[in-house]
Amino acid sequence: MIHFVLLISRQGKVRLTKWYSPYSQKERTKVIRELSGLILTRGPKLCNFVEWRGLRVVYKRYASLYFCMCIDEDDNELEILEIIHHYVEVLDRYFGSVCELDLIYNFHKAYFILDELLLAGELQESGKKTVARLVSAQDSLVETAKEQASSISNIIAQATK
Amino acid sequence: MTMHGMRGLSVFISDVRNCQNKDQERLRIDKELGNVRNRFKNEKGLTPYEKKKYVWKMLYIYMLGYDVDFGHMKAVSLISAPKYPEKQVGYIVTSCLLNENHDFLRLAINTVRNDIIGRNETFQCLALTMVGNIGGREFAESLAPDVQKLLLSSSCRPLVRKKAALCLLRLYRKNPDIVNVDGWADRMAQLLDERDLGVLTSSMSLLVALVSNNHEAYWSCLPKCVKILERLARNQDVPQEYTYYGIPSPWLQVKTMRVLQYFPTIEDPYTRRTLFEVLQRILMGTDVVKNVNKNNASHAVLFEALALVMHLDAEKEMMSQCVALLGKFIAVREPNIRYLGLENMTRMLMVTDVQEIIKRHQAQIITSLKDPDVSIRRRALDLLYGMCDVTNAKDIVEELLQYLSSADFTMREELSLKAAILAEKFAPDLSWYVDVILQLIDKAGDFISDDIWFRVVQFVTNNDDLQTYAAAKVKEYLDKPAVHETMVKVSAYILGEYSHLLARRPGCSPKEIFSLLHEKLPTVSTTTIPILLSAYAKILMHIHPPDQELQSQIWAIFF
Repeated sequence: MIHFVLLISRQGKVRLTKWYSPYSQKERTKVIRELSGLILTRGPKLCNFVEWRGLRVVYKRYASLYFCMCIDEDDNELEILEIIHHYVEVLDRYFGSVCELDLIYNFHKAYFILDELLLAGELQESGKKTVARLVSAQDSLVETAKEQASSISNIIAQATK
Repeated sequence: MTMHGMRGLSVFISDVRNCQNKDQERLRIDKELGNVRNRFKNEKGLTPYEKKKYVWKMLYIYMLGYDVDFGHMKAVSLISAPKYPEKQVGYIVTSCLLNENHDFLRLAINTVRNDIIGRNETFQCLALTMVGNIGGREFAESLAPDVQKLLLSSSCRPLVRKKAALCLLRLYRKNPDIVNVDGWADRMAQLLDERDLGVLTSSMSLLVALVSNNHEAYWSCLPKCVKILERLARNQDVPQEYTYYGIPSPWLQVKTMRVLQYFPTIEDPYTRRTLFEVLQRILMGTDVVKNVNKNNASHAVLFEALALVMHLDAEKEMMSQCVALLGKFIAVREPNIRYLGLENMTRMLMVTDVQEIIKRHQAQIITSLKDPDVSIRRRALDLLYGMCDVTNAKDIVEELLQYLSSADFTMREELSLKAAILAEKFAPDLSWYVDVILQLIDKAGDFISDDIWFRVVQFVTNNDDLQTYAAAKVKEYLDKPAVHETMVKVSAYILGEYSHLLARRPGCSPKEIFSLLHEKLPTVSTTTIPILLSAYAKILMHIHPPDQELQSQIWAIFF
């Protein structure tokens, strides 16, 4: 299974973390520090897999961001590499040519999308259209609620004029 | 760059990013945390929008590496919000900040359960997602029956059932007893008839876990899995959406083959033949293409097929096809494939006797030991270790020793240990073994445990012919300008016992041996001193006739 997902910038700044196995706060900080040291120093022509604490970390760099997923020793590494790519493609589609800044200011969206892609540390949905539809449905729900809330407050405002 | 959301949040993020240094950032964060704490004290005055905004801010602050413990309760409390936008934030932030060991997560169980059994599909999804991501044992006990119901309910849409499958997987991992095996075998077989590939993929992940614990109960699923694999491999009936760069749902193919690896055999000849045809086609038909993603996806399937072939311990022909493929892979330029080639070759060693065929690739594997990529070096080391036997031990160990001098720190311990084990296991003759261990101590003394040098001493003690050789060898090392403390230990012991055998050689008189040892005394730690002292005593004992001068010199040290 995927134990955690980490998105870090080239400078080691965390852009997203999602933990599917129980790591305490202290442990999380340690993990992030160790993996940043291990991965950010790897050159471009090396393979996308590192061995760490008896586990494997599959990572891929997209522009200024490193997408990392930690899996078990006997999991299929290439499959995870393509899950990472799948996530990036979905983000790209949602934001329209995504860049790091999008993920910084809209980190909450990145989490919504991830929750439609992975669950319990496994792939949940491999159809991009389906994910896009789901996320956009969620967006509408939020928009509708906002409108309702503002229309209610308008009504109240009118009534109490 | 589209701004999808809360202005207050964006402004805060900009503020933080504009801080010039860590101190400024800390100040800004503390200010915000103080503000949020205050606003939450008077919660009645907060609008739902504001609550959301503050909880998101807390997640952002948490991602920067700061402590937001007081925020945990707030996030959890949003789970009970009546409206979707707040509830969503509550569920997601909770699943980011907390884990199953946080006690007060338990407080949310009732609310979560209400959402799961309620009629609101979006709420169900939120709840299933959170429980699937961070649910623990208690969630398993309380919610498993409800989640199971959703998974099996024909009135639930695929979206919900997909999440229910993976949620159940998590709960099962936390407490395997929640799945009553007797009932589930048939249900899993039914789930495999599912048309929706999202639900099927999730169900297959669940099946992997169930089968890994108890394959006997799930035999009925075996032929269905083979059928699914066949359908995918032939690209029959696969919706365009689930075709990834031309490969029909590679992830589902991989998962299905993973399930099959938990069944020890395939009894039915028809099923067996079908499966082998599929596997044969994958093995022979996976070409290298330009598109990286298509390549990765098709090779992910290929490597899983390889694992399945190995597991089935198929006909000799198929196995040699596999080794031939792997032999190609370990020599390609693409580092991922090289890595996986080495890893899978190592796995093959556990299976039948492919050792001889693998040995043909020894030269390439040794080259990989020196690859610029530490991940590949590690795989090469594992493989060399696994393929070592009496015929190639000398070559392999000597390569390892040579590599040890330039190896990076992180690999030295493993390298030394493996070399020591191989040397002992497969030594063509004992003097070579002694050489190897002494070289190891010389090059990587820090990583050579006492066990290792004790064993050398044991061998030397039990083999008279070895004793002169060993004594001469350790003296050579002691003559060097820099000597590792472990070398001093083993040398002191051996010279103490056997240096008298060298007495006639130039530079090896008892006096000279004693001086050689004694000059190390000031440099060693307390654990080594007793060994040195007993060496002096032993040297004295072996001198006939006794040497008065040396005797008084040595006695002076003791008294």
